[in-house]
This record gives sequence, C-alpha cells and structure tokens, in this order.
Amino acid sequence: MAAQKTIAIIGATGKMGGAIAKGLVNGPNRLLLFGNNQEKLSGLLSALKETKRDTDAEIIGCSVDASWEADIIIAAVPYAAEATLAEQIRAVATGKIVISISNPLSADFCRLVTEPGTSAGEQLQELLPHARVVKAFSTNFSAAFNHTDVSGYKLDAFIAGNDDEALLEVAELITEVGFNPVIAGDLTFSRTLENMTLLLINANIRHGYKGQAGWKILHN
Amino acid sequence: MKIAEALQLFLWLIPDALYMFELLLQKINEKVPITPEESAVCKTFFIPKKLRKKQYLLQEGDVCKYVAFVEKGMLRSYTVDDKGTEHIMQFAFEGWWLSDQFSFLTAEPSVYNIDALEDCELLLLTKPAEEEMLVRVPKLERYFRLLLQNSLIAIQRRLVSSLSHTAEEKYRQLLASCPGIAQRVPQHMMASYLGITPETLSRLRNPKNRKV
Repeated sequence: MAAQKTIAIIGATGKMGGAIAKGLVNGPNRLLLFGNNQEKLSGLLSALKETKRDTDAEIIGCSVDASWEADIIIAAVPYAAEATLAEQIRAVATGKIVISISNPLSADFCRLVTEPGTSAGEQLQELLPHARVVKAFSTNFSAAFNHTDVSGYKLDAFIAGNDDEALLEVAELITEVGFNPVIAGDLTFSRTLENMTLLLINANIRHGYKGQAGWKILHN
Repeated sequence: MKIAEALQLFLWLIPDALYMFELLLQKINEKVPITPEESAVCKTFFIPKKLRKKQYLLQEGDVCKYVAFVEKGMLRSYTVDDKGTEHIMQFAFEGWWLSDQFSFLTAEPSVYNIDALEDCELLLLTKPAEEEMLVRVPKLERYFRLLLQNSLIAIQRRLVSSLSHTAEEKYRQLLASCPGIAQRVPQHMMASYLGITPETLSRLRNPKNRKV
C-alpha cells in the first residue's frame, strides 16, 4: 500500500479547490482544507465524508499551518492571489510539491495577463525558489471533475514541472481524481498549458459546452 | 492587542526566522560553528514538516527517504515481529536525529516503522538535499561525521547492554542517558525498548523492589 500523503488544499471553497478535494478522497490521502468561507468549508467536509465515510480530512484555520503539515500543497487560488499566498507559505514550502492550478486570464477571458515569455507556473516557482512547483489541473474545468469521461474518452490532465519525481507524484494524484495524466514537460510548458485553457474557455463560451469539455490527445 | 496575540502575529510574520530552525542551528553550532550566511543556506535544504501523534514518517516496506531532526515532540522507530509484537529500536527526543540509515543510503525497502509519540515539528532532509548541502556548506561534513560517530557508540553500548546487562542495569542506564523518559514514554514502550516484559519493568519501577 502506498504511504498516506498529507495534502493541503488552500482555497478549498473555490470551485476548483472543492472539485480537487472531492477527487482526492479516492486515494489514500489526508486532506487539510483551508478557505475563507467557514460555512462552505463545513459543507465541503460533510460532502467528502458522504462520498467516503472514512475520509481523512479536516479544516485547518491557517494556510501556513496547513502547508507546514502537508507533503503536497495545492494553491487552489486565483492567479491574483498567488503572490500573497507564496509570501505566506514560503518558509514551510521548502522541498515540497506546490501545485499551481491558476490561469492568468484577463477579466473578459480574452487574453492572458502574463507576458509572453513567462507563465503563472513559472512565476510561482520564482516566488517559491526552494519548492517543487508543478502546473496541474489548470487545463481542466471544475465541472469536468464529475464527468472525466467525455464521448467515450477519458479526459487528459496536463502537467508541467522541473522535478521528475514531483511530476510522477502529481500524475498519481491526477489518476486518483479520475483524469488521464499527461506530462507535457518542464515548467516552461505552463505557458502553453495556460494558453490551452484560454482557448478551451473561449470555445466553451462560444459553443456552449457547459463545462463538459476538455483536452484529449488521441493517439495509437 | 494582547501581548500573546502580538507575539503570535510577530512569529507568523517570520515563521522561518525564529522557531522553526532554532534547535537544529543550536545543535549544529555546538559541534561546528557556522556563519549566519551558512545557516541561511542550510535552511533552504530542510523540509519543515508537522507530524501528529500516531502518524507515520516511515512504514515498513517503504523506502526511507528522509533523515528527520526533531525540533519538537518525539519519534520512535520499531519493528513488528511475526506475532505482531512491536520492538522499539530507538526513541528520538527534541534535538535528536532519526532515520533508517540502511534504507536511506541504499534505497532498499525499510524493515522499520517510524511514528510520532507526540505531535511533532520535524526538519526532513532527503539524500540529494543532504549531498547538495554538504557541497555548499562543507563544514557540515564534520558535523555529520560527529553525529555518525556518536550514533555508532550508542549502538555499540546498546548491543553490549542487551547482551550482558541485567534488566535493572538496562533500565538504570536508560534513565541516566534519557532523563525524563519515564514521564514521556508509556511504560510498555520502555519495556519494549529494553527487551523486557512490562511486568518486569513494573517490578523494577516499584521502590519496594529497588536494590540500593
């Protein structure tokens, strides 16, 4: 049996944070939930226990404490909040996997607000130089977490990062959540992944997929 | 704002500066004085990790990926025999290091379990981090050599003790080398560490049975 991993989800009451938490109860994980809305957090915790009675999860009142206790930290916060979070957790994130899920989209969803030569993933790595940042879950809609099979295909979840061991560990989490993990490459691939989400969001709006859509590489 | 709240805010603002590495740096400096710059480099290699009571740091069959330094709390390492009996190899209090060196160095699965006897604050070092740290701060080679020396001596003493000492001698030696252990470790675990039955330990602890 794989050893239990303690995973802090910072921003667990967001759509993505909640969806990731619900997916991760499938694995041998201990979840530490942090969010700003206590009522929503309690609701999420009850929902997790309903899904799996012996779920090992609890609400933690401080993002630093949650990250300190964690083996893996999921920064399930918007791009605009990443820098502040990084500042808070820097000292306790050394050596740990920090998952960046954000997409630096403009308010009208028409473009990325990052410069072309960088990405949210790379910026988080710069802010947390001693952590192992992995870009993951950023190309998946929160609504797709309940329906990871679309048109008979298991949706892909792309990951990028500079540490091979960290990539494999995150790939394992993605499998537990129900997606098909695809390692894209080092962290510079975050730029491509974040642009893929920009495209997916716009296609979703234009064609009315209602979030039931995602990327899939077809291959033999 | 109350003083306690102000202090908490202060500590929260600088979580790494004061309390997370306090004991580690103190222990290193006792053996090998290092500069503030070298301390700062050291801090970038340790994984700060909280472990709750009864949680595992290592489970039998897994590879031991870390050496752990105990900033706060207490760890133990133990094996479980075919009958399900636990045999405690080592306790680690504040300021002590613990790992399964064989598994850590060879990446072979461990035969030990390591778990927390109290809520712990640990500093974990992986093999690659250790190697890189020793390149960046070569003085620490001496620190780790002294640690290994002490550990070897402790193991030799424990071996002699377990082969040739009476239960009472073993117990007295443990109390002498780990003052306060009797207050923090349950009696059956001390018995397990000494390789005697809890009943024997209980008899030894009874003042009426004490040989003066």
